[in-house]
Amino acid sequence: MNLPILSLITFTPLVGALAVAALPSRYPHLIRRTALAFSLLAWVMSLVLLAAYAFGPTGFQFVEAHNWIPTFGIRYKVGIDGLSILMVVLTTTLSWISILASFGPIKDRVKGYMISFLVLEVGMIGVFLALDLFLFYIYWEIVLVPMYLIIGIWGGSNRIYATMKFVLYTLVGSLLMLVAILATAFAYQVGHGGSWVGAFDFQLLQQFAASGQFGDAFQNLAFLALFLAFAIKVPMFPFHTWLPDAHTEAPTAGSVILAGVLLKLGAYGLIRFAVPLYPHAAHTFAGPIIVLSVIAIVYGAIVSIVQPDLKRLIAYSSVSHMGFVTLGIFVFSATALQGAILQMISHGLITGGLFLLVGVIYERTHDRTIAKMGGLAATMPVWATVFGFFILASAGLPGLSGFVGEFLVFVGSFGISPLIAVATIIVMVLAATYLLWMFQRVAFGTMSDFLKGLGGHLTDMTGTEAVTLLPLGFLIVVLGLFPSLVLDLLRAPAQAFLAAAGVAVGG
Amino acid sequence: MNWSDIGTISPVVIAVLVAAAVLVVDMVAPGRRDPVIVTALGGLGIVAVAILIQAGRSGSAFGGAYSLDNLTVFLDMLFVAIAALTIMFAADYLEPRGLPIAEFAAVLIFAVTGAMLVAGSTDLLLLFVALELMVLPGYMLAGFARHDPYSTEGAIKYFLLGSFSSAILLFGLAYVWGITGTTRVDGVAAALATVVATGKIAPGLAMGLAFMTTGVAFKMAAVPFHYWTPDAYQGSPTPVTAYLSVGPKVGAFAIALRLFVGALGPLKADWLPVVIVLAALTMTLGNLVAITQDNVKRMLAYSSIAHTGYILVGLAAYAGGEQSGLSAILFYGAAYTFMNMGAFAVVTALQRRPGVSSQIATFAGLGRRDPWLGALMALFLLSLTGIPPLAGFWAKAYVILAAIQAGGWLTVLAVLAMINAAAAAFYYLRVVVYMYMREPTGDAAPSSPGALFRTGLAITGVGTLIFGLFPALVAAAADAANVFHG
Repeated sequence: MNLPILSLITFTPLVGALAVAALPSRYPHLIRRTALAFSLLAWVMSLVLLAAYAFGPTGFQFVEAHNWIPTFGIRYKVGIDGLSILMVVLTTTLSWISILASFGPIKDRVKGYMISFLVLEVGMIGVFLALDLFLFYIYWEIVLVPMYLIIGIWGGSNRIYATMKFVLYTLVGSLLMLVAILATAFAYQVGHGGSWVGAFDFQLLQQFAASGQFGDAFQNLAFLALFLAFAIKVPMFPFHTWLPDAHTEAPTAGSVILAGVLLKLGAYGLIRFAVPLYPHAAHTFAGPIIVLSVIAIVYGAIVSIVQPDLKRLIAYSSVSHMGFVTLGIFVFSATALQGAILQMISHGLITGGLFLLVGVIYERTHDRTIAKMGGLAATMPVWATVFGFFILASAGLPGLSGFVGEFLVFVGSFGISPLIAVATIIVMVLAATYLLWMFQRVAFGTMSDFLKGLGGHLTDMTGTEAVTLLPLGFLIVVLGLFPSLVLDLLRAPAQAFLAAAGVAVGG
Repeated sequence: MNWSDIGTISPVVIAVLVAAAVLVVDMVAPGRRDPVIVTALGGLGIVAVAILIQAGRSGSAFGGAYSLDNLTVFLDMLFVAIAALTIMFAADYLEPRGLPIAEFAAVLIFAVTGAMLVAGSTDLLLLFVALELMVLPGYMLAGFARHDPYSTEGAIKYFLLGSFSSAILLFGLAYVWGITGTTRVDGVAAALATVVATGKIAPGLAMGLAFMTTGVAFKMAAVPFHYWTPDAYQGSPTPVTAYLSVGPKVGAFAIALRLFVGALGPLKADWLPVVIVLAALTMTLGNLVAITQDNVKRMLAYSSIAHTGYILVGLAAYAGGEQSGLSAILFYGAAYTFMNMGAFAVVTALQRRPGVSSQIATFAGLGRRDPWLGALMALFLLSLTGIPPLAGFWAKAYVILAAIQAGGWLTVLAVLAMINAAAAAFYYLRVVVYMYMREPTGDAAPSSPGALFRTGLAITGVGTLIFGLFPALVAAAADAANVFHG
């Protein structure tokens, strides 16, 4: 197949951004629709890609490679495997949903907003497709700027503090990652008689790593640098403190993308780059990372219970849910890794949906304080039903996608240590506690004076709002009932991951 | 001296003639702006052509005192670009303040002539004379707004510390001459190679090295020899600050290349630790102090100190055995020229109306008031931060890569540089916060600069982008220039 479909998907939103930039800002509605059209186009193309993807074989498909900076062997090289295609589809899906969900709430500087969002989409897709470490780094940084603007310009009252914190945390990690990437490429160059050819090529680097040519001390340092960058993004305890601020202050769609895709960038980086390139170091540090993951799972859940703000609660629950992902990666079992990836997708869908639902409330009340809510089920029955559905999905109700991911991680890690497994089970109970308690306080009981004062503003969900939630709910059910759809796709990447990590491949 | 010598230094000769022509034009048509600018920019265009004709050639003039090589061509082109951009940005600023544009342009071109001479100097005495030709007009430019007490104060500080450091440098050069018996760079290098081979470095040579390091560090504004910088930069008229932040800085690195790499190359094991410490101090202190600044000009002044630190990492990488450290210095110089002059140009545009301060509050709501100016400033600031795919990112990447290749302590320095770069994001992005995330204040300064100014802004903006998207273009030239006559 000669059509460069991966590049087409990556740069369709960029063309969209340029098209939006060319439109005069006095037509906000035209701008919104143009942005939506391009994001839908990218989505459709990603679905076509999914249909064209060959399920069986390992390795990367649809690979494109062009020289970019030949002096250092830096190439524009992209390709997909089962893991990246799922992430790309998740990204394109959440992108158009976020753009559509911004139609109502964003009234100011629509043009800049839509450009930021489309550029953000380019960066996110690029991160998942890049097979050249330098290209990966560039996309990684490209993601940063639009998100910085989205939080900082269209965010809440404390947005500047939140966005600076987000940027500085991320930059510290990513700049150290740059040093590690350059050092890795240099080690490859030295190992190949001073030739830079292929020094940034992920596949060649991985072969180089597989032959054990990166020294142990070097691996430890490089792994730690990459791990820091990715752990901040995931975010793992104790690097998570930027997340509640960023989530709380970001506009609804910003939170959706932040939770749905940006956190996944970190987990993806761990699976794709950090472990396969430095397997020895990954094993060295697996113990502490597992401990941090379990702390994140438990701590996130406990802290969620006491959050007074809806978005903050979901943010801390993300810390807990993403803990399952990092746990699943570092126990090095095929089952747990598949569970972790499924959890990534599922968390994107569920938390994305929850943020959209909180956004619906915020649009009407301009408040997110749980204590001020109550009895919403009476005035907004459709909203309350949908919210309840997503709450149950997040709490890990069997039959919905959240359960499958966490369960597989649980099964996979049981063999490593029953203690971890027990801790995760306790947290599933805790999750049910904080989520259902929050739901009860918001939806049931008597209506608060605050809400009564709003009177007629409390209309139920609009058609547009329903359209943004429908695909998410559909996918949550489908993945919950037929997880094998995704798990089949992940078998090959999981085996490749374990082979790269130097673990004997089982079932 | 013969005609071929003149041919070799033809760009310098033409530059002097252009400066003189500017003064003559002003004498014929006093106070007219356009003829002066046409003469100056047209003249600089001829200089650029003269430089490009020499591209790829190699030779020397005046018995080896002046060398023509790829390094000379690279630096000369950069200096001409700096002069042209400064003139484009200065006209709109000087006119409303009643400052004479012709004198400004002439003095500036004289300064750049000195810088071009530095780039080709392969003799210690010529190097010193060229240096003085480069910096003396700089003192005049710093005090150009002679009725402004801050400008005068900055100029005096700049002049006193500058003269002092020149004297220290000269003193160091004298030691080297005394020990090696020659002032030719290659002769010094050969003599020092013998000295190093015998294993004993005379105390006099160590003294000389210390004096020369101090002198050059002053010119680069490396910590702890940077105290003149913030006052000189803040006090100077903004277009002059734009020039001072790149012209003399690249000039100082040209001295470092000719003197330390060329003449003192054999001693690099001895000056390497000093450069490592200087680099670490310079970038860290520059960044920490920049974070606390509320005045954008002063912030950019401290940030330019930090960038000196990053460039010094390239020099340290060279001393650590990595030739590509020199390419990194040159690439950084070129990238920094475009993004930093661009940032200063936006400040200049806002200050077009006299009385507008360069406080950060002036930038409030700029993204809404003037979307293009705001977007350009954001571009320059992101590039200075080092966000890909912009020029500043590649500059840092090349420096870091060279440091990693050199290995050892240089890797630690690379990590320190990156931590610094992350800290720098705080103060660069703070300006973006003001531009895009705050409402304009009531007394918003109308900007709308003229066509010439906008052309200059477009050049810096496109340069920042093109260097970022196609870094190989500049990197190839920098690589070609990293082996030079020593």
